[in-house]
Amino acid sequence: MSANQRARLTAASRFSISLKTREILAAYTFLAPFMVFFMIFVVRAVVEAVRMSFYDWHILRPSRPYIGIENYIELINDNVWWIALQNTIVFTALTVVGTTIVALAAAVAVTRPIRGQNFFRVLLYTPSLLSVGAVGLIWVWLLNTQFGIVNYGLSFIGARPVNWLGDPGLVIPSLSLTSIWWGFGFPMLIFIAGLQGIPEQLYEAARIDGGSSTDLFWHITLPLLRPTILFVTVTGVISHFQVYGQPFIMTNGGPGRSSYSLIFYLYQIAWTAFRMGYGAAVAVCIAVIMAALTSVQFLVLSRRIEY
Amino acid sequence: MKPERSILPQHTITYVFLTLLGLFVVFPMLIAVSQSFMTNQEVNRWPPQIIPVEPTLASINAVLTQQDLRLDLWLRNSLIAATGYTAAVLLLCAPAAFAFARLKFPGNNLLFGFLLITIMIPSQVTLIPNYLLMRDLQWLDTFNALVFPGAANVFGVFLLRQFFIQVPTDLEEAAVLDGAGYFGRFWHVILPLSRNALTALGIFVFLFHYNDLFWPFIVTNSLETRTLPVGLAILNSSYAGQYRPMVLSGAVLSSIPILIVYIIFQRQIIQGITLTGMGGR
Repeated sequence: MSANQRARLTAASRFSISLKTREILAAYTFLAPFMVFFMIFVVRAVVEAVRMSFYDWHILRPSRPYIGIENYIELINDNVWWIALQNTIVFTALTVVGTTIVALAAAVAVTRPIRGQNFFRVLLYTPSLLSVGAVGLIWVWLLNTQFGIVNYGLSFIGARPVNWLGDPGLVIPSLSLTSIWWGFGFPMLIFIAGLQGIPEQLYEAARIDGGSSTDLFWHITLPLLRPTILFVTVTGVISHFQVYGQPFIMTNGGPGRSSYSLIFYLYQIAWTAFRMGYGAAVAVCIAVIMAALTSVQFLVLSRRIEY
Repeated sequence: MKPERSILPQHTITYVFLTLLGLFVVFPMLIAVSQSFMTNQEVNRWPPQIIPVEPTLASINAVLTQQDLRLDLWLRNSLIAATGYTAAVLLLCAPAAFAFARLKFPGNNLLFGFLLITIMIPSQVTLIPNYLLMRDLQWLDTFNALVFPGAANVFGVFLLRQFFIQVPTDLEEAAVLDGAGYFGRFWHVILPLSRNALTALGIFVFLFHYNDLFWPFIVTNSLETRTLPVGLAILNSSYAGQYRPMVLSGAVLSSIPILIVYIIFQRQIIQGITLTGMGGR
């Protein structure tokens, strides 16, 4: 290698290093604004929540003694926590199952080659645009025992008035019904996209073989939609597990504590009783449960099914 | 095998089903609208009235004029906060997503993986520390508290990165030959070509924030700084017991703006929500 060539190479590599450095600098500049906010409002907050959960931190009291894992011990013996957890699980299960079935049926219906496809699609998504406040206020009145339309409708088939939101055994299913009405639009859109991804030839071939629409649904649509169904149910679990607005607006957690959800209880502890330390412990436990649920989601979803 | 339901054409069943489902969706809203025009006596009557006998604007008027209800301010606050939040999310997430999608830097994959893991941490765990931070910064009752704490939206970065990766690189190479730097590539190539994705994410986070209840409820205290969903909760707790039609009027009135927007931009909203939902896969 001549001196000349070597000089040129060094120059080239020096040039490439500086290009690389420039790219790195550019990358960090592009990332910086996001990372600043992320560090303050996510990373710092999570670390702080964990730290606070080891303190007896009352917002009105100046002294905040370190108490080790006492908050967590209190949580294990806290009846209301377990009631709220149970309510949340039942609510989530009912809502996810109901939402998925309604959304899938709606998606199948609006993807048929019919007139008014788009009209129905737009119409059925409407409730999802309303705020939980509006939804809650409308449904509280529909479900009213004395004057509600739901009981009025049931009276035609001879049913006695039902105390939808006042009966401890019915309040969670009632909140679920409201939530299904409110929330089936989003999974419906996901299902529509999933259905449109199924090749039309599969249906044609099956029809030539004499398959009925019902056969086509059970043997083509449903199996091919399995990844979408998994996605919808698992994301549904995550979002409905965080239910708060429905009990807050519609029942205030009642009757008794029959419709306390975990997040509703967290609110009560931190912003009604002002026990920030115990609230942090509750929040950390909710986070751990949800992180576990999300991990299951990732595991299930990453196992792609091929046909 | 022969078609089972040969007597009924398949579409009839579809129409019947869609009509029933449509009624299930529309009926509660129509009842609320209808009862907004009733008097308290008329609402509290068995059998329930579906159509007001003598329509009255009394309760709608009351909702709009009561001293302790400020729907106009609450709507304004909701719009400002949701717009500010959407702008903040896009301004923070798009550059970060560009860096992750296009630039080589040490720790790219590691950092992105770390962000992905934090998606698993639900936002509830950050509520108490962030609330205390808002209090210490004296940001309670300000738009800052409504806009900034949730602005570092990891899902937004994830979603936009997915889209940016799909933009063909030759367009950027052409721009580089024309002398574009990193910012030029981002601003003049990637962003214009990802308009759909940006719109979709924008619509998604706007609607989420516009309807959010928990965070606005804890960081606002005064009548003037509440947002619409919080205002509805207040309306409910102060008037539901004595004057039901007012509560229904509030629910209806507060929903009108978003429904008007939906009627105008239905296609974009449906597409945007679908795109964002699918982007999470």
